[in-house]
Amino acid sequence: MDFQQHGYRATKPRARASPPSGGPLLFDDTSSGPPPMNRGQDPGVGNLFADPMASAAMMYGSSLANQGKDIVNKEINRFMSVNKLKYFFAVDTRYVMKKLLLLMFPYTHQDWEVRYHRDTPLTPRHDVNAPDLYIPTMAFITYILLAGMALGIQKRFSPEVLGLCASTALVWIIIEVLVMLLSLYLLTVHTDLSTFDLVAYSGYKYVGMILTVLCGLLFGSDGYFAALAWSSCALMFFIVRSLKMKILSSFSADSMGVGTSAKPHFRLYITFALAAFQPIIIYWLTAHLVR
Amino acid sequence: MAKRISAALTLTNIQPYLLFAMSGFDNTDFFQSSYSVDDQNQGGYGYSDPNDPYSKQYEYSQPMGYSAPPGMMQPQQPYMGQIYQPTPAFTPVSPQSMYGSSFEDEPPLLEELGINFDHIWQKTLTVLHPLKAADGSIMNETDLAGPMVFCLAFGATLLLTGKIQFGYVYGISAIGCLGMYCLLNLMSMTGVSFGCVASVLGYCLLPMITLSSFGVLFSLQGMLGMILTATIIGWCSFSASKIFISALAMDGQQLLVAYPCALLYGVFALISVF
Repeated sequence: MDFQQHGYRATKPRARASPPSGGPLLFDDTSSGPPPMNRGQDPGVGNLFADPMASAAMMYGSSLANQGKDIVNKEINRFMSVNKLKYFFAVDTRYVMKKLLLLMFPYTHQDWEVRYHRDTPLTPRHDVNAPDLYIPTMAFITYILLAGMALGIQKRFSPEVLGLCASTALVWIIIEVLVMLLSLYLLTVHTDLSTFDLVAYSGYKYVGMILTVLCGLLFGSDGYFAALAWSSCALMFFIVRSLKMKILSSFSADSMGVGTSAKPHFRLYITFALAAFQPIIIYWLTAHLVR
Repeated sequence: MAKRISAALTLTNIQPYLLFAMSGFDNTDFFQSSYSVDDQNQGGYGYSDPNDPYSKQYEYSQPMGYSAPPGMMQPQQPYMGQIYQPTPAFTPVSPQSMYGSSFEDEPPLLEELGINFDHIWQKTLTVLHPLKAADGSIMNETDLAGPMVFCLAFGATLLLTGKIQFGYVYGISAIGCLGMYCLLNLMSMTGVSFGCVASVLGYCLLPMITLSSFGVLFSLQGMLGMILTATIIGWCSFSASKIFISALAMDGQQLLVAYPCALLYGVFALISVF
């Protein structure tokens, strides 16, 4: 039995592993890995592989495909760990609703502490204070589409402008994250803020931007400025309260060097600078859309 | 005792050889047995060492090996038969059918191409009834034939209104599928394959075809057109998210999956309206 299974396993690249759930399986999932082969046409198998060269070539091809997939996965894992990224996408509808409400009206929220569970932070599903990447990503894409629509309404649309808008917004996110990382590094602030956390917090402003653009399109210039003021204040409050816990509270950990008294001031400056940057960038990226 | 056990094990090793010997020049079995032998040589199940005495034993016990441990062989037969042949492996197939591909033994063309009309129809019905609960197992087979037909139909209805935008349709669907594939892989516990995503998104393009065919009859830029567009986008994304949710067992995330689908179908609607 064991040897037979081993013999089967040697031919496994030819006969694909079965898909997860049952049902009348006539055709296999043709997308994952080896070239398509149907188990239903078993006499056909003999026909296809009557020529050993063809079968050897197909085996070689499928092994090449697998190797290619492995190489891609390895390269991606060198830059970022997909598991860590998955943490930021473990969201559900309730969390997204609560977070959106929080972004627009953070003044009544009491507890801003990120909750932990045995040294690992809780996933966004279970903790509304945890940062996630679903909202920033969706907000970014919505912003690009909304910009396209706004330009289309004003008859200024062309696909190049859309690409320009998208790349501008992306570059501004990258600049902001890099500046934050640099300043945190230079001031030797030891936080547990990873790059993805910073991207998340930097991407939350797109929610405010979408609201601002919508109000500007619906209610004209007055609506635009009112929405700009509201979302800027809300976002500043949100950023300061969220990052205060993470940046300012960690000074007790590195109490080794002298001059710890100077540290809290710099951290405060960083937090407020980041908060003050938000309205500027919101105005910069949306003003040309509602002119 | 150990010798008997190893003898029995060797017999199972060389069983494919027995098949080969018994059933004549059978190409399929020959192919199988060559693999097993390679495997055994690599695995080194002690075959190489006691080669001589056991080969003698093999020759001696050849007729016994055929019939003696039927209990051991029979469970293996249907295993091999399931994979390589529909019939048990011991029925010797004539060499001509293996080589010359006789016409009667070929599977029907549709089955060989992988197009199963019944499943296509079932999936289409699932899309057309958004309020009915979806069966998660229908998405195990990824067939891109249906989505291809729907994309072509969409482009054709756009053509009827004078917009020759096949390139945009294909480009947006490719980028949208890639984006949804990345997102769903990050959001779900089990991964999802690209073909599955492309297949589901392509099937749920069907209501968009009705939108663009309405666009042939009257302009969609009025209030009625806006309402119709919004309804159809909602319908498409609701069906797509329903199928994804049931196929990937994601709970409490239907709206979260529906939103990116709505963005994607919104772009398609933008093409058909403007």
